[in-house]
Amino acid sequence: MPKTLKKPVNFEKIIMEKVKSNEISMKPRWYFVAGSVCSVVGLASLIIGVSFLVNLSLFLLRKHGPMGQWRLQQLLVSFPWWVPMLAVGGMVLGVWMLRKYDFSYKKNFWLIVVGLIFSVILAGVVIDGLGLNDVWSRQGPMRRFYQQVEIQDGNAPLESGQGKGGAGFLGRNQ
Amino acid sequence: MIIGDISELSDEKLIEIIRGTDRELYAEIIKRYQAKLMRYAGYITGDDNMGADAVQESFIKAYVNLNSFDVKKKFSSWIYRIVHNEAINLVNKHKKQVPISDEDGYNSGIDLEDDFIKSELISHAHGCLEKMPIIYREPLSLLYLEERSYEEISDILRIPVGTVGTRINRAKGIMKKICQRH
Repeated sequence: MPKTLKKPVNFEKIIMEKVKSNEISMKPRWYFVAGSVCSVVGLASLIIGVSFLVNLSLFLLRKHGPMGQWRLQQLLVSFPWWVPMLAVGGMVLGVWMLRKYDFSYKKNFWLIVVGLIFSVILAGVVIDGLGLNDVWSRQGPMRRFYQQVEIQDGNAPLESGQGKGGAGFLGRNQ
Repeated sequence: MIIGDISELSDEKLIEIIRGTDRELYAEIIKRYQAKLMRYAGYITGDDNMGADAVQESFIKAYVNLNSFDVKKKFSSWIYRIVHNEAINLVNKHKKQVPISDEDGYNSGIDLEDDFIKSELISHAHGCLEKMPIIYREPLSLLYLEERSYEEISDILRIPVGTVGTRINRAKGIMKKICQRH
């Protein structure tokens, strides 16, 4: 048998005293609205960020060309592994955030997770396929980021903006 | 507001008033739920003292977070969910759970009827429930003792309705084994 109470607890008295003395107070509505907005914006940003990282991983893999054995070794040594690792970490964080939403337990959660992962990979493939990496590596605020990734990838960077035929900064190995 | 009027108000309407104009009406919410929640927390924790702690903390958390409650939903599911979380946290802290595998015990070959389960639960509730793993103890006590619907249990435990059904069916089997053994 469970341990029983020695004497009944007067919840009404205990809690209402705290309420009346302002020892406990309601958090304002804007606090929860802000929380929801941050959560949605955070999840959306995470999905965009992970899609970008998946795209970047595909782009870097493709840049290495066909995978002969020594190319694979070269890839293993020089590949900026933080990019796919960050993508996977972001994906895990995204799944964790999804679990916080009300709908997650009412639907088939694993289907949602598979859908999310598939969408993110598809978005990465589409971004890579559209050649946006070439554009971003040549101009705009992402140029410096691409240069750093390129250096990490073990290739000496060319001058930005060069590239006859529009292959661009990172496009020379394609 | 007249006392008679208050008792006729739905939980959700009452919450709207508490949030908007009269926070002292929270006492009415406590009155409505304290016994039910104490019983539920007691089943989860297997210890009325721990259950009381969980319920007290839950009423405080519910009040503090009252503005996050969506009045289009059922308040009862929301408050039960808070108690569930608090009780589980306490149980984990005290590591009091005694797991029992589905294969334990023996099979008498007697089919269990809902009425039998209910009467067994009521007469030997604590003894039988205490020996069940929490994942089965909770839906069973919510269904038979708290008389919650599958939909509400799904909202409280945050598991799909189908999983609620599965757990309840398995819980019935475990219940049979435990109760017959005693």
